[in-house]
Amino acid sequence: MASACAWSVALVGLEGRIVEVEADIGSGLPRTVLVGLPDSALYQARDRCKAAVSNSEQEWPISLLTINLSPATLPKAGSHYDAAIVAAVLAAQGVFRAEELRGTVLLGELGLDGRLRPIRGILPATLAAQQAGFTRVIVPLRQAGEAKLVEGIEVFGIASITQLVAFLRDLPLPPVDPIEVLGERVGRHANRHLDLADVVGQVEAKWACEVAAAGRHHMLFHGPPGVGKTMLAERVPGLLPDLGLHDALEVSAVHSLAGFNLADELITRPPYSDPHHSASVASIVGGGQRMARPGAISCAHKGVLFLDEAPEFQPAVIDALRTPLESGVITLGRSEVHARFPARFQLILAANPCPCGQAATPAAHCRCSPTVVRRYAEKVSGPVRDRIDINQAFLPLRKAYLKKATLQRAESSAAVAERVLEARNRQRQRLAGSGWQTNGEVSGTYLRRHLPLPDGLQAVDEAVDRGRLSARGVDKVLRLAWTICDLAGRDKPGRDELAIALAMRRGELPGTVRSEVG
Amino acid sequence: MPAAKSKKQIGVRGEDLACAELERQGMQVLERNWRCRLGEIDIVAAEADATGLTLVFCEVKCRSGLGFGHPLEAITFTKMQTLRQLAAVWMREHRMKASSIRLDAIGIVLAPGQEPSLTHVRAVG
Repeated sequence: MASACAWSVALVGLEGRIVEVEADIGSGLPRTVLVGLPDSALYQARDRCKAAVSNSEQEWPISLLTINLSPATLPKAGSHYDAAIVAAVLAAQGVFRAEELRGTVLLGELGLDGRLRPIRGILPATLAAQQAGFTRVIVPLRQAGEAKLVEGIEVFGIASITQLVAFLRDLPLPPVDPIEVLGERVGRHANRHLDLADVVGQVEAKWACEVAAAGRHHMLFHGPPGVGKTMLAERVPGLLPDLGLHDALEVSAVHSLAGFNLADELITRPPYSDPHHSASVASIVGGGQRMARPGAISCAHKGVLFLDEAPEFQPAVIDALRTPLESGVITLGRSEVHARFPARFQLILAANPCPCGQAATPAAHCRCSPTVVRRYAEKVSGPVRDRIDINQAFLPLRKAYLKKATLQRAESSAAVAERVLEARNRQRQRLAGSGWQTNGEVSGTYLRRHLPLPDGLQAVDEAVDRGRLSARGVDKVLRLAWTICDLAGRDKPGRDELAIALAMRRGELPGTVRSEVG
Repeated sequence: MPAAKSKKQIGVRGEDLACAELERQGMQVLERNWRCRLGEIDIVAAEADATGLTLVFCEVKCRSGLGFGHPLEAITFTKMQTLRQLAAVWMREHRMKASSIRLDAIGIVLAPGQEPSLTHVRAVG
């Protein structure tokens, strides 16, 4: 009898595909049929939409209603199709002209009272709509700010079905009661208020953090408990420069999909993610049955992923990091779709040397048997260790450092961040046109073929010859040497930088410099 | 104010309206409220056209308001299945032959103080 069509977006990973929502009012006993591979949350949209429409002074058709989500072969999940379903049904009934919906994408879940509720992934969905050539997007009122972060598409925030109908009829919008929304997650920004100066001693480890921040290198901290491993790791994001526009958009899109409320602004600080060691593989790499969600590694995209007490994690969790560590993306295969999420994170692992934590401390007495110590160390597997650029050993402090003079002499995060930014600028200039921005990401081939090789490569040859450095390790050492040279403001790494890089990679304590000052 | 009508009265009124509607459409009502062990057929009507005789078995549901939903929503798949069986029994008992049969549903809303609203859905079963 009558049919109409509205548009929405299906998100597969970060990639959005346009979904056409068709509503057909046919003859037959009253029944609503929803077809087009819906999951259970979407299947329940029938009942949600029906109640919402009836409670918004509109009528649900009293005849056979068929709702089709096309392309029919793409599995669809989630509750955000509600808005488009209702719009198609009302247009089919002639509540407003079906042409009003042309070029418009509708997103939002409905409450039974007809209110439009926020959904996950507004930002990537709006991006997809804009890229597909749609000219306007209708989103839940409270998420209009997030959608407006996308340029080149008109955004309208709508609070309820009543407002939607008025909007599509070109009538003034009726007011809505403001209702407090609880349980909202707010995007977590990097801990800028945490200052490096708070950490007592550990000068060498702070320097390692500076190098890691400058070149985006992965780190492994090992040392006894209470020496500041966690404190330092938390302060690494504060040393990183702000994200560029492209990165900020990508990071914000991932966070939007993970359910963080972006509070109307892009995330411009590098994110920080520190999952607890009881985390499952799915929570780290991303998961979910039909529609995979981003995990901790994607939430740390362009930022820092800190795994404290790394040996306490299930070995499978740590090993799952191997591929994304190299490729910077994670592809999750599900029965019908493959979801791809970006995951170019900077990894920091922290570990005690043994269960009691005292094994590596010279003066302390470790009560663990050698087998236990070895087994504990082996929990972070060789392949993962091989992907770590900087192995940083923490030694216990020799003094309490309570003197004011010493405390005041500690360098602040701001000062270090400035040097890091300068080193980043040097890298960007050198790598311009290569597609990479930092030393940590540059491919080995590019490193060896397109950049000058440092002097004194015999030391590296020797390390490889003795089996102490893998082929990947050589690249890691070269990258580190470049970063050290960038921080020092030199044009090309020399013998010294290479020696330091080798020592950092191998976790030696060069010249056993103890972490002491003053 | 007149006393509220009983359920039975509403039903009878609805069936009267339904018969009138079918006759208005040119059908001939053959029987009303035919009962057997299986259940009841509300209306049996005949419609003749160029292709021959069509027997129409009609289920009528009448409600005095929309408080419990539209009357058509109360006509379920099982009800229509029963009607199909009843139709076969009715034809056997009456030794009737037809070129085709059809199952219809009619929903009527008899809201007090308002014109009755009638919805006729053809060929549902």
